[in-house]
Amino acid sequence: MSFKLFSRTVAVFSFICIILQVSAIETKLSGEMWGRWTNETTKNKDADGEYRNKISKNYLSLERGYLGLETAFTPNTKARFTVDMFSTDATYQYPSDSAMPIDTLKNSTIDGAGLKLKYGYVDFANLFPIPDLNLTVGLQKTYFGTIYDWNYALIEKAPSDLYKVANSSDYGITLNGFIPQGWGEYALGIYNGEGYKKIGSALSDNIDFAYLVNFRVTPISGFTVGGSYMNNTVGREKTLSGDALNSKYEEQNLWDGLGRFVYGPVEVWLEYIYKDVAYPNVSGKDYTATGLTIMPVISLNSLINLPVEVIGRYDRWDESDRPSADTAKSLLNTMILGLNYNFMPDNTNTPQMTVQLNYETKMYDEDKSAPSFADGKKDSSQLMLQLKWKFANTL
Amino acid sequence: MKRMTLIILALLMIFMSLSAKNSNQLTCSGSTTVLPIAQAAAEAFMAKYPDINISVRGGGSGVGIAALISGSVDIANSSRPMKSKELLQAKSKEVNPVAYFVANDGIAVIVNNSNPIKGLTLKQLKGIYTGKITNWNQLGGKNIPIVVISRDVASGTFEVFNEKALQGSMVIDSALMLASNNAVVSTVGDTPGAVGYIGLGYINDKVHTLSIENIVPTETTIKDMSYKLSRKLYMYTNGKASGNAAKFIAFIQSAEGQKIVRDTGFIPLN
Repeated sequence: MSFKLFSRTVAVFSFICIILQVSAIETKLSGEMWGRWTNETTKNKDADGEYRNKISKNYLSLERGYLGLETAFTPNTKARFTVDMFSTDATYQYPSDSAMPIDTLKNSTIDGAGLKLKYGYVDFANLFPIPDLNLTVGLQKTYFGTIYDWNYALIEKAPSDLYKVANSSDYGITLNGFIPQGWGEYALGIYNGEGYKKIGSALSDNIDFAYLVNFRVTPISGFTVGGSYMNNTVGREKTLSGDALNSKYEEQNLWDGLGRFVYGPVEVWLEYIYKDVAYPNVSGKDYTATGLTIMPVISLNSLINLPVEVIGRYDRWDESDRPSADTAKSLLNTMILGLNYNFMPDNTNTPQMTVQLNYETKMYDEDKSAPSFADGKKDSSQLMLQLKWKFANTL
Repeated sequence: MKRMTLIILALLMIFMSLSAKNSNQLTCSGSTTVLPIAQAAAEAFMAKYPDINISVRGGGSGVGIAALISGSVDIANSSRPMKSKELLQAKSKEVNPVAYFVANDGIAVIVNNSNPIKGLTLKQLKGIYTGKITNWNQLGGKNIPIVVISRDVASGTFEVFNEKALQGSMVIDSALMLASNNAVVSTVGDTPGAVGYIGLGYINDKVHTLSIENIVPTETTIKDMSYKLSRKLYMYTNGKASGNAAKFIAFIQSAEGQKIVRDTGFIPLN
């Protein structure tokens, strides 16, 4: 990270700390850093025009660095502010013949790192005469599927995040709460629908909001089922001047069903995603996509007395319903095997550090995918080793 | 091949011996209010059963409950009932919290011994903690500014006080938020204008207790809940307590254990 970006971050944080400290009864500073080594192998054309496996990426990165402030103004009013720092996904590029950045190219960064707002919201509890109900206002979690409580047992993202069904956080207003006696949780929300990553000119001119319902119940110990529905749109239906129809405008109905089973040291997650996309301004382009994820997590702690977990995951993401001419038409199978070693537990036994070793392979079904996927041309595999560490202190 | 098999078997035996949990070890953590009861009871229990070792830690009710959910303690001490969010976290991880009622307590509102004020109404108490009443002379006392002392947000005592006395209102910004009952009693004892609140068991001779709505926290008024800041103290286990945890809780609930509850300044069950 450059000195300029670092000093800017420190200045913003100091300012927010001062403001929060003036009126807060308690302020907590927390952080989480993911330092990662990634080795990726993909198929590439050689001199003979043949596709061969080659190492396409081999790098070290600070993949994510969350720095957050949580403050309690009153026991019923709490706020959270989190920035997301990263050394990838950068926003600006220097052209080879100029010292000035070109902001239309998004391959590297002038600062050496990126910075995004991840959360910035206020929780109001006991505003309504319903127990355990919060009104949350601001840039907050998207209560869809597993995306909002995904704890990254594997390095890979939650399915709805990975397949770009929903954003992990977005600007919105939600009513979220818990059913008394631990029976479950729910959320109702209105969001921007464009996520937290779009800023400035990258924000589209979409004028519709996204609407969300989420519900989970835990009827018996160790067994949770739930579902989410979100209605969203992408783009603007008609241009602002002239009322011309926008061919890229999408109407999306997004569904997610999940199950979680815990028995002793074994935990199994199941998630099913259904995405229905309509293009009202274009005929023959509508499609549906489905996703299925199975993720078993086995804790070896009770067996070998070491804080080790073995995790597997199988994803099937099917977009083969797209029209034949659509180059995104595909059926992807992903398999992941992971090993976690947790250490430095805090006083609640939550590990402050985790070493994660993951192997992930992505394979496209040739028959159900567009020609550009044939013969495994877009198949890839990744080996990742990550040290994840976090802290939380009351100021 | 035979050598490899022997090595694997040896490794398995080492792992199994490592994994054999010490069945004579009992761990409990959580509420700092329940801490003196748990500590004194553990000492008496270990004297009676020398082969059982009990480790007792504080941290606050929330910390103890989180540790029970993560499986790192056998007993979570709490000065408040578990919240819906905590119950959901527990249930979804196949943890079934069972509450054992171990003592009664009243949150005592205390002032420095030099303060002549004898009692407050709940409205006055709320007024003090929300900054509407700032000098003892507004309550018929000396012309001394009120120094508001509170517990930190993680404390179960704070949560019960907030619910019963403040009804969710914001504690004044200038309030000193302290991390333990001991810190509160010590600060109030050293500060003539101070007011604080603590578990009954922490009262010492440097402070005196105020009546609330003309009711002094006594065994009778706390047991019949006529004292407005009464509460129950709990120990939670994962599922019905068994083994040493059951033995320890039964000991605290016995006549011998309840004598310890009384000796530590709290109110016994019966």
